[in-house]
Formats: sequence, C-alpha cells, structure tokens
Amino acid sequence: MANGTENIAEYSNPGQVTGDKLSFKSLTDKISGITERKTPPVWFVAFGAAFSLLLVLLGSIGYLVWEGVGIWGLNNPVGWGWAIINFVWWVGIGHAGTLISAILFLLRQRWRTSINRFAEAMTLFAIMCALIFPGIHVGRIWVAYWMAPIPNQMSMWPNFRSPLLWDVFAVSTYFTASLLFWFTGLIPDLATFRDRAKKKLKKLVFGILSLGWRGGNRQWRHYELAYLILAGISTPLVLSVHSVVSTDFAVSILPGWHTTIFPPYFVAGAIFSGFAMVVTLTIIARKIYSLEHIITIDHLEKMNKIMLLTGMMVGYAYSIEFFIAWYSGNIYEQFVFLNRAFGNYAWAYWIMISCNVLVPQIFWVKRWRRAVPVMFVASILINVGMWFERFVIVVTSLSRDFLPANWDYYKPTFWDISTFVGSFGLFFTLFLLFIRFLPMISMTEVKAVLPQADPHSRTSGGLDE
Amino acid sequence: MSKKVKNNAQKYWQSLDQLADSPEYRKYLLQRYQEETDNSFSRRNFLSLMGASLALAGLASCRRPVEKIIPYVSQPEEIIPGVPNYYATSMPFGNSAYGLIVECHEGRPTKIEGNPVHPSTMGSSDILIQASILGLYDPDRSRSVKHNGSKKSYEDFVAFWIGLHEEFSKNRGEGLAVLSESFSSPTLARLKNDFAKKFPRAHWATYEPISDENIYKAIKQVTGEDLRPVYHYDKADVILSLDSDFLQTESENISAARGFAEKRNVTENGNAMNRLYVVESAYSVTGSVADHRMRLSSNRIYEFLYVLVDKLNIYPSFTAHKSLSDQFDMEWISAVVDDLKKAKGRCIVIAGRNQSQEVHELVFAINFLLGNIGNTVTLKEIQDTSLPNRHDIARLMTNLKNGNVKTLVIIGGNPAYNVPSEHEFKYWMDRLEHSVHFSEYYDETSTMTEWHVPRAHYLESWGDVRAADGTLGVIQPMIEPLFGGKSNVEFYNLISSGDERIGYDITRETWIKFLGTRNFEDKWRLILHDGLLENSFLPNRNPRLKRPYDSMIKEVPIDDGLAFTAEFNPKLTFHLELTFHPSKLYDGRYANNGWLMELPDPITKLAWDNAALISPATARELELKNGDIIEISHQNKKLDIPIWISPGQADYSISLPLGYGREFPGRVCKGIGFDTYKLMDSSNGFMLTGASIIRTGGRHDFANTQDHNSMEGRPVVREADLEEFKRNPSFAKEMVEHPPLKSIFPDHDYSRGYQWGMVIDLNVCIGCGACTIACQSENNIPIVGKEQVSRGREMHWIRNDRYYVGNSDDPQIVHQPVACQQCENAPCEQVCPVAATTHDKEGLNTMNYNRCIGTRYCSNNCPYKVRRFNFFNYVKDMPEVIRMAQNPDVTVRSRGVMEKCTFCIQRLTRAKRNAKAEGRTVKDGEVLTACQQACPANAIHFGNIIDPESNVSKLKTDERNHDLLGELNVRPRNSYLAKIRNPNPLLKGYKSDDV
Repeated sequence: MANGTENIAEYSNPGQVTGDKLSFKSLTDKISGITERKTPPVWFVAFGAAFSLLLVLLGSIGYLVWEGVGIWGLNNPVGWGWAIINFVWWVGIGHAGTLISAILFLLRQRWRTSINRFAEAMTLFAIMCALIFPGIHVGRIWVAYWMAPIPNQMSMWPNFRSPLLWDVFAVSTYFTASLLFWFTGLIPDLATFRDRAKKKLKKLVFGILSLGWRGGNRQWRHYELAYLILAGISTPLVLSVHSVVSTDFAVSILPGWHTTIFPPYFVAGAIFSGFAMVVTLTIIARKIYSLEHIITIDHLEKMNKIMLLTGMMVGYAYSIEFFIAWYSGNIYEQFVFLNRAFGNYAWAYWIMISCNVLVPQIFWVKRWRRAVPVMFVASILINVGMWFERFVIVVTSLSRDFLPANWDYYKPTFWDISTFVGSFGLFFTLFLLFIRFLPMISMTEVKAVLPQADPHSRTSGGLDE
Repeated sequence: MSKKVKNNAQKYWQSLDQLADSPEYRKYLLQRYQEETDNSFSRRNFLSLMGASLALAGLASCRRPVEKIIPYVSQPEEIIPGVPNYYATSMPFGNSAYGLIVECHEGRPTKIEGNPVHPSTMGSSDILIQASILGLYDPDRSRSVKHNGSKKSYEDFVAFWIGLHEEFSKNRGEGLAVLSESFSSPTLARLKNDFAKKFPRAHWATYEPISDENIYKAIKQVTGEDLRPVYHYDKADVILSLDSDFLQTESENISAARGFAEKRNVTENGNAMNRLYVVESAYSVTGSVADHRMRLSSNRIYEFLYVLVDKLNIYPSFTAHKSLSDQFDMEWISAVVDDLKKAKGRCIVIAGRNQSQEVHELVFAINFLLGNIGNTVTLKEIQDTSLPNRHDIARLMTNLKNGNVKTLVIIGGNPAYNVPSEHEFKYWMDRLEHSVHFSEYYDETSTMTEWHVPRAHYLESWGDVRAADGTLGVIQPMIEPLFGGKSNVEFYNLISSGDERIGYDITRETWIKFLGTRNFEDKWRLILHDGLLENSFLPNRNPRLKRPYDSMIKEVPIDDGLAFTAEFNPKLTFHLELTFHPSKLYDGRYANNGWLMELPDPITKLAWDNAALISPATARELELKNGDIIEISHQNKKLDIPIWISPGQADYSISLPLGYGREFPGRVCKGIGFDTYKLMDSSNGFMLTGASIIRTGGRHDFANTQDHNSMEGRPVVREADLEEFKRNPSFAKEMVEHPPLKSIFPDHDYSRGYQWGMVIDLNVCIGCGACTIACQSENNIPIVGKEQVSRGREMHWIRNDRYYVGNSDDPQIVHQPVACQQCENAPCEQVCPVAATTHDKEGLNTMNYNRCIGTRYCSNNCPYKVRRFNFFNYVKDMPEVIRMAQNPDVTVRSRGVMEKCTFCIQRLTRAKRNAKAEGRTVKDGEVLTACQQACPANAIHFGNIIDPESNVSKLKTDERNHDLLGELNVRPRNSYLAKIRNPNPLLKGYKSDDV
C-alpha cells in the first residue's frame, strides 16, 4: 500500500491490515489458534531462557535481602545506582501501552488496534519489573511498607512532601488503571476463547474471566462506554506517571536533577522508549507467528515516526539543559553539564546522545523507516540509549556535586548487573505466558477496522464468506 | 589481684563460699583470676562479673587495701546506672604523659578527654589519646603468660623470676640485661634505680624507634645538662619549622597546637597573627597550615641552616659558601631572617626529631642568640625518665653477640619489629639462655622470647608520670585488667626486687616523697581527684652555652650535600633520599587500632595503608602512577612498597610512614601496609640518602577517602591574606552572590529555648583528625574496613576535607572539617518518604533510626554529603569485648539505616537534664560536643546561637563568619570562619591561582 493511493487506502482500511483472505473467521482462527495449537518447541526454548533469568533475579534479590544493599556498587555520594535507573527505565517502557490504548483511542487512530493489546501487556509487565526496584533498593526491605499510609498503632504517617511517596501513588495508580483497561479490552476476546474451548478447565477459567459476555447489543453498548471512560481516565495518567517519577529528581536540590524541564522531558523519553520496546517485541512476534498481514509494515512505520518525534523532543531537552545551565549563571549547574559531556562519565553521555538523538534520525528516510532489520536494530539502540539517559542523570549528578571533596566514582557490581538482567527474565516470562495463553492481538478491535466491518466499504458488498 | 594480696586478705572473707573455701569457689577463683585464656570473654561474662563485683563491693568493705578512685566532677555515692562517672588519670607516652579525664559507664571506661588542668592536654586530646580507649578493649591483646608459646600462670613466671633473681643477686647482675621503653615516671625511675643498685653489672638499655633523642643530645652537648625544651607557641610571633611537624607528630603536639591557634586567632588578637615558615621534605600537618612553605629534602635542611645562620649574622666570623647560597631561594631566606630578627625573643626556630644532633645544636644556638630561650623556649630539667638512646641498643647487641648477656628482659616495646635489621635482633635472641617480654600483645618479639607476660593497659593500671614540664600526674585504673595483665610498676618492681606487690602500694610509696607523710591520705585523694599534683612543674633552667658558638659550625658539606641532585637514569635508578615518619599508628604500637587505621591521613587521605610518598615531578620522571609498586633498595636492604604521589613533597625524596606491615596477626593490622622499618638504618636514624628504586610492575589498591583534590574554583574554603582581610574584612561573605533566599515552606519557630549552632574556625584548624576519632568514640561509629572505604563507604560523621591550592607540584593546603550542618531548611528532611529525619525545636536535624527505611534520598539531597549509610550490618561481627567500648547513650545503628551527626544530642540531653534538675538553664560552654572537646586548636565552637552572650553567637557575628553553600537557602546552623594566611609582604607571588 506504499503508493500514491495510500490516503484512499487508509480511508478504506483504517486498521491498515492487509491480505485479501483476512476475514472475521480467519482472524479469529489465526489469533485463537496460537493459543490452541500444541505449544511450539521454540516457545519452550524461549520460556526456559526467560525463566532462568527470572531465577537469576530471585537469587539476586534473595542475596540482597540477606546481605544488604552494600552488595551493589553504591557509595557515599552516589546513593542511587542501577536500581533507580532500572526503575525509571522500566516505567518509561511501560508508557507505550497505555498511550496506544488510551490516547490513540481517543484520537481515533484506528491503526492502533493491531498493536494495542500487545503494547498494553508489555506495559503491565514493564511496570511489574519497575515496581520491584523501589521495593528492593531500600536499606530495610522488610519495612518498605512504611511508605504506604497505613494507619497503625505507632502513629506513624508518611511524609507527603517527599516525591518518593508521590511515586508510590503515581506508579501504583498507573498500574491499576492499566490493568483494568487491559482487562476490559480483553473481555470479548476471552469470551471467544471460552466459546472455542474444548477442555473443561479452559472453559471454566475463560468462563469466569469473560464475566458472562454474550455479545449482546446492550453489553456492547456498556462495554464501549466503559472502554471510553477508562481511556479518559488513563490518558492523564500516561502523562502524570512519568512526570511524577521525574519529580524524584526535579524536587531535589542537586545540580543536574533540579530542573523544571524534567516532567515533559521524562514523558517524551518514556514514550520514546516505550515505542521502541513495542517495535522490538512486535517484530519478533509477527515473524514467529506469521502475523505480517495483521501487524503490517504500516503499523511499524507509524511507530517509527513517533520515535522520530519523541527522539527529537529528548534531543531538544538535552540541548536546552545546556543552555539553561549556561544562562542560569549557576557554577554548580554549569559544571554538572560540562562534566556530563566531558567528564569521567562522558562515555555514557555520548552513548546516550548517539542512541537517542542520532539513531532516530535515520527514520527521516522512508526506505529505512519501513525496513524491518533497520528498525529492529534502531529500536534496541534507542532503549540502550534511554537506559544510559537515566544513568547519566542519576549517576553523573550524584558523583560530582557541590563539594569536590565528596566526589567519587561509581561502578556497578556483579549484583547490580544480575538484578537488571534478571528483571528481563521476569518481563519475558510474563510475556511468553501472555502470548501462549491470551489473545495477543485484539480480535474484537481488529475486526471492527476490517474493511468488511464498514458498511460503506468498497469491499463490503457482502460478507465474503 | 595478686596472690599475695589474696593470702593477706584471707582472714577477711568476701563471700560465704570463700569462707567455706569450697571447691566451686576455688574453681571460680581459678577461672576468674588465673587467666582468661580462651577468646570467649563475652559481654555476658563481663556483666555478670561486674554485677558480682558490685554486689561484693558492699560486702568487701572489709577488704584491705581499698583502692580509692576519686571522681573528678561529682562524687557519686554509688554508681548510678545511666549516669557516667568521670575520673582523672594519665596516659604515659614516651618521655611525657597526657593528663586525661575518662568517662566511665557502670565501671566501664568509654570515652577519653583531656584533663583541662594538665599542661600537656589542656582539656584537648589528639588521635592517639582518643583511640587508646579502643586499645583497652582490643580482643587481640595477650591473655596469658606464655612460656615458649604455651600457656602458664603468672605464678609460674614469678617462681621462675625469683629463682633467677636470687642467682643474679649473687653475681650482681652479671649477664643480665634489660631493654625498656623510655618512660617519664617517678615510680619507674625509682624502681630502675633500685635495679641498678642491686645489679650494678647488669645492662639497662632504653630504646624507642621514634624519640627526641637527638634533641636531648644536642642540648646536652651545648649546655652540658640534660634539659628538655618546652615551647611556648602562644608567645611566638614568628615560627620557623625545619622538618618539624610540631602540630601533629612531634612531642607535646597538643599544647603546641593550642598555643599556635591562640596566636593565630585574628579576631582576638586585633587583626594580628603569627607567621609560620616551614621547610620540610614531606607535607606535614604543620606544613599544611604554614604561611610559607619551602619543600626541601630533609638532608639539605642542614645546608639551609648554614645559609640561615650566615644571613642571621649571629656568627660574625661565619659565611656560608657561595655555591651553597646559590642553591636556595635567597629572597625567601632573607624574608625569614628579617622576620626572625624583628621578633627577637618572640620567635621560635624548631627542628624536627628526624634531624641530626648537629642541626639541633645549631637550632638551639639560634634560639639562644635570638633571645628565645627563657621566653618562647623554656628549658626544664629532665627528671625521672629513662632517655632513649640508639647507641644503647647497639651496645646491648654487642654484649649479646659477645655472650655477655645470658638473660634479657624486654619491658614493653617491640624490638623484633622496630630495631634496625643490621642488629640481627632475631638471630641473637635465640642464643640467650633466658628471655622475657612484657607487653600488651603476644607480638613479634614475644614469639621469640622464652617468657611472655601480658601487660595491662594504662586504663587498667596504677602508676605515675611526669609531664614535659615536670608536672607530676597519677595513673589510676578505670577497670580491673580485662585480660589479666600486670601493670608497668608491678612488673618493674618484680624485676628489680624479686618481690610481688600490687601497683597501688608501689605507686603510693613513691608519692610519700612528694606529699610527705603528714595528711598523706587527704593529699593523695586530691591527687586522685585532680589527676596531678598542682604546681609540681619544674622550674625553668637558664643554662649558658658551654661550647663556643663557632665550633658548632663544621665543614660546609658541599660535596655530599649536593650529591643527590639527580643524575637522571632511565633505568629508574636514582640517588634518592628516604625519610621515615611516625604515622597515625605512631611507631606501629597502635597498628591494631581500627579507628586509627580507618582515619584518613590528614594529607594524603589514605586510610588503612601506608605508601612511599613521592613528588609529582619525581613520579613524572620515573613514569610512576599512584599504586605502582616499587622496590626501594638502600645498601643491602630492600622493600617492595606502592607509591602515592603527594603534591608538595620534595623532589627526589621519598617519605616512608612507619608502623605498618606488622607480622603480628591482629584482626585489624594483619596484612595492612608495608614495614618501612626494614629500610631503617641504625646509624642515620630517620633519613637516608643514596636509595634507588625500580618499578616492579606490581599494583596496589589504596583506600583513599578523597578522590578530588581541587576546589574547582568554588567558594568552598574561603581564604585571604591578612592584608586582604584587613582591607575587606567581609571578603568571605562577598565571595558568593545569590538572589534573595525564599522558601515555599513556612519556617520553624527558632526564636525560643535553646537553638544550637556551631562555628568552625578554619584559620586555626590544623586538620589533625582528632575530631573524627573523638566523634567515632562518642557516637559508636563502626569501622568498615579497607574494602568498604575504598568503595567510598567510610562512616565518619565529621570528616576533614583537604584541598590543594595553587601549583600542583608545590601547592598550599586548606583543611575543612565538615559534619552535618544542621540546616534550618534542611533538604534531607523534605525528601524522606517516611519522615525519619525531622527537625526538633532546638534546630537540630535529628535522625530517627528506628523509622529509617534506607531510601538514601536524604543523602542524595544533602549538598554536604555528610550522611552515612549502613550498607551492611557493620557491627554484626564486632567482638563482644569491643562492644564494651560503645557509648551506652548512643544507639548502635543496624544495617540499612542512614546516620549522621546530631551535635552529640546525648550530651545536650544530659546537660539539659542536669540543668533542669538544678532549676536553671544550660550555661554557655557547659556542653561540649565530642569534636569540640577533642580539638587541640579550639577550632570548634558550639552553643546557643540566640543567647547573645554565648561564645558561639558572638562568633556568628564575626566578619569572617560565612555559611558553606548558604546560597542554596538551606540555612546551615554550622558556619565557618574564613581562613587567613599571613604571608610575608616581602615575598610576592606566593599565592597562585587555584589549579
């Protein structure tokens, strides 16, 4: 469809799915079939690998609880290291799902339907990974619950002036809203699974999960409304959660953290990395399960465009930080930014700039924007760059702050690395379970954007069956 | 308690068991008194024993003699749990002693302070004094008498010695030798005399690896008398130090620091201050506060002195050789000469103890001719001491080799570790018939002697001392010997008399001489209360110079003096100078002290290890980096040691700190550092020339607490010359411009009650580190070990930042102690999610350890980075006996908790409680923080800042007063008085730009 008739095509095929054979039934068969067929061996291989990494995570956390956060590379000026970097990074990744589901839904970007389920699941799992880190990075893990406002006999109450507390609320709210939104969207598809199930247990489980969905007109009406309301609720959360995460830094007085640009800059960065992760995962899944006709190159291209946009937004933020540092006349601020670019962590800074600012520029070229191998590499590099962005913010600012006598170099230990690598184990374990047992593409929504669903469509002269 | 006393006291019974003399009681006695042989001295044991002894105290009033310990501050009728008692005592140290006040909790000493009325401490202390409390509880101290390595009882040793004693009594000591440490004690002197009378043919040698021997010898040489110089820095306007670190590692450093600080206090002295010139090879604490510092190899000090003497024109007939004068910056020397001449009778020239006798003779003559003797330098007769003598040990070794010594008794010291290796001490020790070592540790020497007898810590002993000015002081025990050691006086007495007596009786016997028999008990009680005999200092002596001045000037050593001026050899072989310096472990006797080990060196900021210090230029020439291991060889001695580049070090001079690399397997010192004694030479003392080095290719990792040495042009330590300061007294405040400071949060009410605040005078701070150790002792700060320090996790609540200023080869140094600044608008408080750190109404930023969950956000948001996090459970493996050194008023922090300075809140609480009980308010100066109390320079001031009469509130109005990072609107309660240097206006361009 990459020709001059694109506009017409888009009008006539808002879901951007391709393939003449795609019908309601074939779509249902295709998506349901993935979970109904015998588990392919490649899934077991992947699951084995992911689960091993999950065990690495559990082992690392176990040792952490046993010994203390001293097993990480933290030191006196650098009180936060990989744990907080990983937290912010995973939360960032968890942005694309809800953005695609909620904001693009409200904006009537109907091409989202092929990827939204996928992206939402990714969001949930990314937030789960993220939530591990603030929980385990505290010194006394067994009392981390004191951050929650739980009435108790000791009259202890959290300090609502602390951004860490805002974090607790922001991320948990976001997680709850995303979970509900995801589940609501799943209901009609779960009912399809229930109807197709042949085994008793499966019937029972999907029967319970589909909440008695029968596909009646009134149910559809309520469902659509609920979905719309949830989209409305989720939309501000997409923007708020990373804004609040950014206040962890922005509210402090540390040069390099204490900047007002952080909320929008963090949100842009989060969307940037979230889309990159969706692209990475989508490319793999559509290849393995032959979903190229449902998740088409057009979908990928659209996401690449968003990455190009948000990549330039973070690039702008990087440059404006330098300008403000110079403009402020604050020697500490000026030093921090010069130190980022030319100091002892310059290597991290230039990795960040290369991956986040330079790499997305290739998407100006349409051929590359639509070339799967190019975007696969680029999307991975972007997430590497976004990880380093958090590294640069967290570590360089702390390691060289106001009094030069305090300066120290921060190096991760084996346990920093194993915990981070292990968090991928959790992510992929959940993700593999998801694609094995649940519809990874929203059948309901894709059907609604198939040309056949449009009574005015040229191809909807009649049901093609 | 000795056996004899027990026998005497047998008619008095202490318990029913004892009366019945039951087997259980005998067993108990055996366990209790014979030897604490295993390592299981638990706190439970200790507490039960303490409980038992308290219970017995009531019963035991019949016991004689009752050893009275009189409280210093208030006399308790009994020990009140939770209320500490304070007792006066003294810490013997070489040829001097420090008067102390020791805080005891329920019979357990926990904290040491200086005795305000003692001339050597004046209420302050230094790192060694502060850390010695930890030495008391060192679990690695020897716990039993040993004979050829196997455990014996003290009675066995006594029986052995009585046999030998009888034998030697017959032949008047033929074949008997004693090797002792030096001391300054009337009782020990008396016992030594008794020994000499009884065994006239015996040989008594006194050895100290680090001593003022050359100074004493020089004064003896020029005056004919054994005299000790006492310096009065509080009267000196100009000081020239030649390789003398008189503020830190030389004798009487505390009173020196105090006097120096008084003369440096521009506020009180009406904008006048002293001027310090330092000529030295290695950067010392004294050099770091100098107004002018010249780096010069130690062995060229002699030449420098020649040129100085020439310019001073005090020897009319003498002119330094022209080629010698050309070697030095004559402008610099003229400036010094000019200042010294202007300040006749008000100046001090002092040379370091590592300088030769000849240098000290000349220095004495200069002081004499400048009229300083009797004014800034007074001379005291040396009484009741055993002066160390390097030749003595050489004679002893000769006697050993000739077979003239059959039995050697080593009292204290550790000659196997610190006697120069050419004496082959270890080899000859094996050839003795009998050898005895009396020491606190079963150390390098003990392992090669036949007998080892454990020595009690000074806090466990009776004894007496003479301070540098002759003031008599008493050592009284704070606790019964934890590991069953014997005190010095008891052992000396046994050796000389062959008789066993308790230290209390031996000491009192001596004091009858000073106090007379009339009213002895009353006077004795007063001595115990005060810790010293008032006005017992010795009169000043005003000797004449015995030798004609001119004869002091020997041949000008042009040839050898200049020999080392570097022929560069690409094979990395040099003709280098080696200098040896006491480290923070002094001569190595404190090597097993974790507080000292972990204290960063004031100059290099290295914790744990020592290193060969070399200058940046030498390092560049030899292509050496920090941590490169080199092999130093001098004559036939070799040592592998890593280097550390020390800006300000003299080129081609290597400084080697002593006291590390012990073979003694203590849990702290094992495998730490490098034994620089291996290079020491018996003839030349503390400096050698002609050493060469080769890079071995090895690397060593150091634990350095300050990675960055420059202030990066930031207004951190604010400094000005005296002239600049006079022109613009508020220069420090003007160094920072900022917009109006406003907060979105409402202020706390700071207008009522006590509002605590602190002022640190950077002008007098010498950076010695006493505050750090005092804080560690007071606040139960854990030792974390080298690995943790190298990862930046040291726990010190007050640290000393050291910055280099100026030329990177020859910089100036500034020090800045930084503890929690107790911000009124504290950034840490706002970000804690669980409100574990909050403000109290007295302006303290308090920590609630129980509430802390360890997010470390407070530390990230602290601009001073003074918060310390317990990354691990650092006290988990602390031996039970060391736990006894902990202050019961301060919580021991667990893993995962943030901690920091709270202005010694436990002391504030105690003072407020006392004041409330007496119906008054806390007086200014009534409560001192631990760092303030320890500071020898009185740089730290603390008190109620809203009381207009308080010292601290007056200092807060000083023109030099400024906040550190005040522009952040954190409003610190702690402020600093800017540093002022007083360079000679004749010397231009000394101050250079920040690197």
